[in-house]
Amino acid sequence: MFAYLARRLALAVLTVLAAVLISFLLVHATPGSPGAIRAGAGGTAAEIARYNSELGWDQPLWRQFLDYLGQLVRLDFGTSLIDSKDIGADLGQRLPVTASIALLATLLSGLVGVLLGVTAAVRGGRFGRFITSSSGVALSLPAFWVGILLVFVLSLQLGWLPATGYTRFTDDPVGWLTSLALPVLTLTVGGAAVIARTAGAGMREALRQEHIRTLRAVGTPEWRIRYLHALRYASVPVVSVLGIQFIALFGGSVIIENLFALPGLGQASQAASSSHDLPALVGVVVIATIVVVVTNLLLELVVAALDPKVRTS
Amino acid sequence: MSVLPLPDMDGAAADEVATEPVPPSRRRGLPQLLRRPGSGLGVAWLVFLVIASFTAPLWRPYEVDEQDLAHRLEGPSGAHWLGTDPNGRDILSRIFTAGAEPLLVSTLTVLVAFGIGIPLALMAAQRGRRTEQVTSRLTEIVMALPSTILLLAVIGVIGIKIYLVMGILGVLISAVVYRIMLGVAQSVRQRLYVDAARVNGLGSLAVNLRHVLPGMATVIAVQAAQLFGIALLIQSGLAFLGFGPAEPQPSWGVMIQTASQHIYDAPWLMVPTGLVLALTVVAVNELADAIAGKVTAERVVPRRRSRVVASSTAAPADPDAVLEVRDLSVAVDGGPQLVTGVSFALRPGRVLGLVGESGCGKTMTARALLGLLPDGVSVSGGSILWQGRELVGLPDSRLNDVRGREIAMISQEPMVALDPMFSVAYQLIQPIRRLRGVGRAEARKIAAELLTSVGIVDAERVLKTYPHQLSGGMAQRVCIALALTGKPKLLIADEPTTALDVTVQAEILSLLRALVRDTGLSVVIVSHDLGVVADICDDVAVMYAGEVVESGSVAAVLDDPAHPYTMALLGANPHVPDGEPVPRRLASIAGTVPPPGSWPTGCRFAARCQFAQEQCTVPFVPFPAHGDGRATGSVRCIRVEELARAHVTWDADDVGAVVLVGADPLEPADETAPTAGVRS
Amino acid sequence: MTAAPAAGATAASALDPAPVLEVRDLVVRYGSGRRARNAPPAIDGVSFDIAPGETLGVVGESGSGKSTIGKAVLGLQPATSGTVTLHGQDITAMSLKQRSRLVADLRVVFQDPYSSLNPARTIGQTLVEPLALMGIKGVAALAKARAGLEAVGLPGDAADRYPSQFSGGQRQRIAIARALVCDPKVVVLDEPVSALDLSTQAQVLNLLADLRDQRGLAFMFIAHDLGVVRFLAQRTVVLYRGQIMETGPVEAVNSRPRHPYTVALTAAAPVPRPAEQAARRAAREALGVGTAGAAQPAATGCPFVPRCPLATDICVAERPPLRLVEGTYAACHHAERVPQL
Repeated sequence: MFAYLARRLALAVLTVLAAVLISFLLVHATPGSPGAIRAGAGGTAAEIARYNSELGWDQPLWRQFLDYLGQLVRLDFGTSLIDSKDIGADLGQRLPVTASIALLATLLSGLVGVLLGVTAAVRGGRFGRFITSSSGVALSLPAFWVGILLVFVLSLQLGWLPATGYTRFTDDPVGWLTSLALPVLTLTVGGAAVIARTAGAGMREALRQEHIRTLRAVGTPEWRIRYLHALRYASVPVVSVLGIQFIALFGGSVIIENLFALPGLGQASQAASSSHDLPALVGVVVIATIVVVVTNLLLELVVAALDPKVRTS
Repeated sequence: MSVLPLPDMDGAAADEVATEPVPPSRRRGLPQLLRRPGSGLGVAWLVFLVIASFTAPLWRPYEVDEQDLAHRLEGPSGAHWLGTDPNGRDILSRIFTAGAEPLLVSTLTVLVAFGIGIPLALMAAQRGRRTEQVTSRLTEIVMALPSTILLLAVIGVIGIKIYLVMGILGVLISAVVYRIMLGVAQSVRQRLYVDAARVNGLGSLAVNLRHVLPGMATVIAVQAAQLFGIALLIQSGLAFLGFGPAEPQPSWGVMIQTASQHIYDAPWLMVPTGLVLALTVVAVNELADAIAGKVTAERVVPRRRSRVVASSTAAPADPDAVLEVRDLSVAVDGGPQLVTGVSFALRPGRVLGLVGESGCGKTMTARALLGLLPDGVSVSGGSILWQGRELVGLPDSRLNDVRGREIAMISQEPMVALDPMFSVAYQLIQPIRRLRGVGRAEARKIAAELLTSVGIVDAERVLKTYPHQLSGGMAQRVCIALALTGKPKLLIADEPTTALDVTVQAEILSLLRALVRDTGLSVVIVSHDLGVVADICDDVAVMYAGEVVESGSVAAVLDDPAHPYTMALLGANPHVPDGEPVPRRLASIAGTVPPPGSWPTGCRFAARCQFAQEQCTVPFVPFPAHGDGRATGSVRCIRVEELARAHVTWDADDVGAVVLVGADPLEPADETAPTAGVRS
Repeated sequence: MTAAPAAGATAASALDPAPVLEVRDLVVRYGSGRRARNAPPAIDGVSFDIAPGETLGVVGESGSGKSTIGKAVLGLQPATSGTVTLHGQDITAMSLKQRSRLVADLRVVFQDPYSSLNPARTIGQTLVEPLALMGIKGVAALAKARAGLEAVGLPGDAADRYPSQFSGGQRQRIAIARALVCDPKVVVLDEPVSALDLSTQAQVLNLLADLRDQRGLAFMFIAHDLGVVRFLAQRTVVLYRGQIMETGPVEAVNSRPRHPYTVALTAAAPVPRPAEQAARRAAREALGVGTAGAAQPAATGCPFVPRCPLATDICVAERPPLRLVEGTYAACHHAERVPQL
């Protein structure tokens, strides 16, 4: 188990390195130079050259890469080409916004999805079919369109929730929650549908297993069979998909943050992409990769805790 | 765009599809798909969309940049069927003009992802562990890259070159494709026809193209459809963010972005484009579901039993019998009968064998005794009297009082009969506490004792293990211990040794025999092996095509069989006692067991019987036979006396190498019962 | 075991001096790396011959390595050491493709009739495939395929159908037809009747016996069931944990086994005669053979030691060689003391 963990950790570090390398090479494949971007449209050749040498752009590639790695280890992401702000500090402020959206949406998706999926599998009949087919539709809807619909109904027509904007938790916890409600709900529509399908299929498969019949043969109460044994069996795929969901929601936050004007990582990456702010782009990629890698590691630990077959091998 | 790394929601289903040989119905392709209303509509919409999008320049009522400033932000009208946008441009024309690019670009993404993922998976599956580990680690790294954000970074560097960007997305997704396809390819490669082709000397490329790839076709189609939907969402999501085609070229994402800005003054604007995009993705996913054969009307788990009223409440014919089954019939709900008119009685401390080939209904009969029939199968008539109490028609809640406490069951596959998620200790202690009303510590003590009593030496260690850590024989012992937790009086054993090695089988049979001797347990054992029946049973009922054809004491039936089917089964058994010569040829029976629903009237064995005559096709009742004063039996053969007088034996030489098998050998012969997963 | 004589060589030489298939000191290890090297090999020094027209039964329980031997002979599983010789030609290290070019004489029938035929291809396509690789194509190949189907008791027009239209027994006949269509000399039968019902099993066994006698085929018949082996084979090899415990003429091994494991195996197979079976059961219980999988045997000695009622110190210390004991070769230090059933 220990050797296994060590191997996973090594792979995680390797993954982050790969992400850094890819984005670094990507930046260097660009036809322009950071100096040109910083200098703006009216920059002279001399200005551009000065900026470039300030940024170390004139150094050999490997040297720049090692320098950048050295910076990263010190959690220094460099400064923005556009407004010269410290990228690390900026992203540090944005990370909690995106993380809370993704986390809340994942949790809510899990809750609603498991509830719906298990009900569909256990109740069956017309109701079960309805849940299965409507979740099939829900997971196909584009999130940005669902978001607009929700704004129209919940915010414009009913006036229950603010349409856009973000309130910090430290400023006003209730305001924080209501400002996140619409984005989280939007992401939950598709997320819960995916989980409902996984949980439903998992439960159905679990209830078909031979060991369920063994339990019935010794007169085990039905609730125990369903909600202890079958649910436990179905929990492994559900947890895996929840992990994938979190990663997907984290990466997919760009659109939601754009739609609801939330100051998160996604918004930063969109802005950096539009303005060719290369160091900021690399920073976002690195942080997102770290989130993915850490989530995957946690996921493996949870699955190992759930599944004795994984745990004991 | 909520789902970037392919949600592996179909992982389980995909695997199922991969490991099961494709049933013939799935090979009929499109018409089969169209039979589902959802997928029929889906395919119709996709066809319409493709045609409408690519021909849009030919029929669109307005040019895409044709502004009608007098009619801005209008709803549907005769002039503009789907209304107009903030610049007064016709939405209908713009939606369908915009369709071509996402369709092409998403196809490109799918092609790139599969073009890389599938060859890689095929190679890794073929080359074995070392190659597989290298490629798998590499793809794990790619999969961990945040694709959406990386795409934005790519756009930030190279600009909005949508074909290139979506191609790069395809490269990123190819890692996911590889992961899914590797599992499928490995499972297809385990199929024996691949080995057979390799033994024939077929080159590896040909093996992959001819044998492995076709086996993966279903999964590939499903994944391709899903991936197409995801690519579509990502492409329009990028356009929504402003990384789409430049104005005035229309795109769905930009149109929805525009709608979001006019949600206050023109909410209609969000309807047409959103609906077209949503419909398209829904249609694609519906198509994927249909290909996967996922019927939305999935079988459910209603534990409702049919409300059959016991057909007889007369006093038991055998006053000593603890269990009496009379005229029991089992049928698929709204379908054919699986078991008809089965009767037998069991006295305390006796062992009854139900014996026959696959599809004879012996397992269904055994499971009916505990009300544990598969979903969609139920008792359709007759009576099961357990200690004078009628079990047929009892609701599950009442049956639960009998299950475990009075009647228990062990099954064919001990390795899957225990819950893989819980330790042996938990699985024993929980029913012990419930059935014996003791505390946890006491229950644990009893659990250890039970394990010792079924011949497990190191009970304490076994208690701590999980099912996957047990060998087959050990698992079956644990299953027997589990069945004994409620001190039952009757044990139903469904092929308890079929999955075990022959020396382990002998040990388990000895254990069962000792239990019968020491505790007075009665046993109903289902087996296809007459040797097992001879070893452990006192009485036997031979089943064929859903009915008992011969019954009686084991010695009477096996030493002096009266029914031709029993004779044939004995003649087909290659196990001869020591000292006797092995027969030069074995007796065999032409053809196969007729499947439920196509049983003839009269004798169901007549079509395969060497002694069948005209009279065998008329219905008749079984004759009493094998009477020895203590036990009685019956024979369901109208010529039984005639045959007995003639001292006939089943002739071994009737089926040779060049004789056609059966009267109609190419009848699609499915030897299993029609209910999926039900084996008898 | 290198010192041991070729297993059953005397029995083989009675039939034919030149064996069609020779296996010498075969060792197969699964996996790679340190852990695999320390684990006991799946096949541990197995040698045997098969003469033309002869059927050799390879018997053992799950984990005995019987299927692995078949795979190693066929080239589906690389041998770690030892040789496999077909017609005097060493084919051990040959790739499957090379084999097909040089020897079309070795074919296989597998256990599972459902996964051994490609559901997406017609029976005709399946049968023509090996012929095409031998250069027989077109009408000639199709005619040969039809003849092959008729030889196994199926109508020739079965060639136009898909596997799903056939029952398990019929599919197994098709698999046999595929193996025989290019007239091999040796066929590896890997549990060909284990998945079939009793009456169908008898049909297929009769068919195999007929084909062997008509065509002079040599079978390597892998099975877990001694009764089935006794019906079809002339000689038998009894495997336990990858090693040969006993080998010799099938009747001798059955009626007077010289290895405690063979005794246990024979005694455990039930016969459908209640009185006879009761006697066998009593005899088996009196043997005192230990429970399967009780303990791991020591790497040095006899693998059967943890279960063997006759085991002594020498059995733990020294691996017994195969030696001739009244008609059969047994790998047991106490072969003379082995009780009779």
